[in-house]
Amino acid sequence: MANAFVAAFEILSFGAIIVLIVLGLGIIASMMGIFNFAQGEFVLLGAYITYLAYAKGLPIWAGMVAAPFVVGALGFVLEALIIRRFYAAPIVAMLGTYALGLIIREAVRGLIGGFYLTVPEPIGGSIDIGAMHISAWRFTIIVITLLVMGLCYLLLSRTSFGLRVRATLENPSLARASGISTPLIYGATFAFGAALAGLAGALIVPVFSLFADLGLRFLIQGFVAVMVGGVGSFIGPVAGAGVIGTLSAALPWVMAPVVADVLVFVLAIVFIKFRPQGLIAGKGV
Amino acid sequence: MIDTAASDDVELEMLKSMSVVREAIVADADDEVDGAMAEGAAAKRANDEVKARRKILPVIEGLVLLAALLAPLVLQDYLTVFATRVIILALFALSFDLVWGYAGIMSFGQALFFGSAGYGVALLARDLDITNIFLVLPAGTLIGLTFALLLGGFLLLGRHPSSVIFVSLGTLTGSYAADRLARGWYYLGGQNGIPSIAPMSLGSYDFTEGPAFYYLVLGILVVVYLLCRFLVRSQFGLALAGLRENEQRIAFFGYKAQHLKAIIFTIGGAVAGLAGSLYAFHEGFVWPNMVGVVVSTQVVLYVLFGGSGTLIGAVVGAVIVEGVSFWLSDNYREIWPIILGLLLLLVILFRPLGLISFVLGERERVGSFGAKQKERRNAP
Repeated sequence: MANAFVAAFEILSFGAIIVLIVLGLGIIASMMGIFNFAQGEFVLLGAYITYLAYAKGLPIWAGMVAAPFVVGALGFVLEALIIRRFYAAPIVAMLGTYALGLIIREAVRGLIGGFYLTVPEPIGGSIDIGAMHISAWRFTIIVITLLVMGLCYLLLSRTSFGLRVRATLENPSLARASGISTPLIYGATFAFGAALAGLAGALIVPVFSLFADLGLRFLIQGFVAVMVGGVGSFIGPVAGAGVIGTLSAALPWVMAPVVADVLVFVLAIVFIKFRPQGLIAGKGV
Repeated sequence: MIDTAASDDVELEMLKSMSVVREAIVADADDEVDGAMAEGAAAKRANDEVKARRKILPVIEGLVLLAALLAPLVLQDYLTVFATRVIILALFALSFDLVWGYAGIMSFGQALFFGSAGYGVALLARDLDITNIFLVLPAGTLIGLTFALLLGGFLLLGRHPSSVIFVSLGTLTGSYAADRLARGWYYLGGQNGIPSIAPMSLGSYDFTEGPAFYYLVLGILVVVYLLCRFLVRSQFGLALAGLRENEQRIAFFGYKAQHLKAIIFTIGGAVAGLAGSLYAFHEGFVWPNMVGVVVSTQVVLYVLFGGSGTLIGAVVGAVIVEGVSFWLSDNYREIWPIILGLLLLLVILFRPLGLISFVLGERERVGSFGAKQKERRNAP
């Protein structure tokens, strides 16, 4: 019983981490049609900023709050300077964002060296329920993920900004004709996606510690999750992330980890092949 | 490459005329040849220009071959070993160029075929003691071909044509999954890979690092290059070029676009397999990175730098990227990847056709098919 509960918690918390990482990726992919290869590096930057705050003696939570804003601002600048030129060609966008990612990753590698740097959890200890102990920080991540998910949903479905974003997605020329500044909306969407990645990086760095390939590790999982969920909506990639995250955390409990690792990807690709529109088809929120 | 048989004098003459022409090209920058011809007096010059422009590609190919042939004579031993590795990587780049530059399939998992062939021949050498060159190289090619056929068939064929994004992410995922598998599978050596592979043999002769190995891989590269050149200049290549430019139109012409793609993907896989088996024997070991995302993206870098859609661009790109990285690795090891990323970004933004497009016109890149220009003009 206790074992099963711990397993369920592990699976849930890993699923939450994947969802958190995919949120930004999914928003950029769905709303702008770009698969952002630099997303993993935005996660890395978020983690690095948190580490920097910790190393400078500031409270860790201050770094975690700053990370999304700094990374979001960087995303906005990069969009205006570079990403903007790629909208017409999705493949070129992949290559361009890959190059960007390479620059960011290697710059961070140069700054931290080849080390694994640990950042302590801002909320340490464990929550005890009877005989069972679950990590308090992982629990916090689950809660924050749910909160962020809810807020993103509300932002896109209930606010006028969300309306503009969706209008730009559905029909850019009509949106422009209606007086919406589409370049600004694209910039803001990209910055928002980048900020979410920064937040994800900041939150997961106590769990995974900081190393240069931190983002790369999640990037491919993220892409697969977006494809499985379905590009074009907000809820699709989130659902896909839930499935992929749960599967990759759950399968190692029932089979050899190596097989499980590969099986998740194989299953996902086969699924996408036969259902290209993904779990949840259609555009919208 | 055929022109290298010509004597040095001819080559010199050509070089001279080439540099003159290049100046002329620079002079009227973006002027299309057709525009220049309208000027009457300039017609003859323009005609010469067309003629000479056509010759640039063979000249570059010839120069590269000449440089490659002479390299071991002037290089130190350890540099010859390095040059051998570069030539093998150029062969690998060729395979990606076929797939991306000619058919427009973004294969982010080309290393899957490269590495699986490497692992395959390493296992042959380790478990079955087979190192005969006439067995291992075909075996490696076959492994690459089989994997490419399976993955390409699955990703590209089917009732609904797959999206470009799906194919690129599918190949990327395949490569990543293979990397994870190789890392975790004890039989394949896990993280460490398979060390100390026996050298490739021909009868009682062992191919070890050095000039002999160098000329062997150079010979293979030349043969494969010529085959690829023949392939992309054939009617099949014409259909491929059409596919790259406008897939829908080619489909409307009645070509089975998916089949064409699957075929070229498989051929690319076979070439990558050949390169992978050579690489395994040259380095003497294989490790999980060889099937993984790192090497997959490396080959994308070569081709984008050099110029996709020209075979020589892939070769030149591999030589430049590897050469500069080798040269800088002593002093600027840390910042080299950053510079590489910046250069890549600049190339993508401002020179989408790669460095080769500085010397090679668009016309020559696509090449001419079927009837020669003269005959066409005479035709009713």
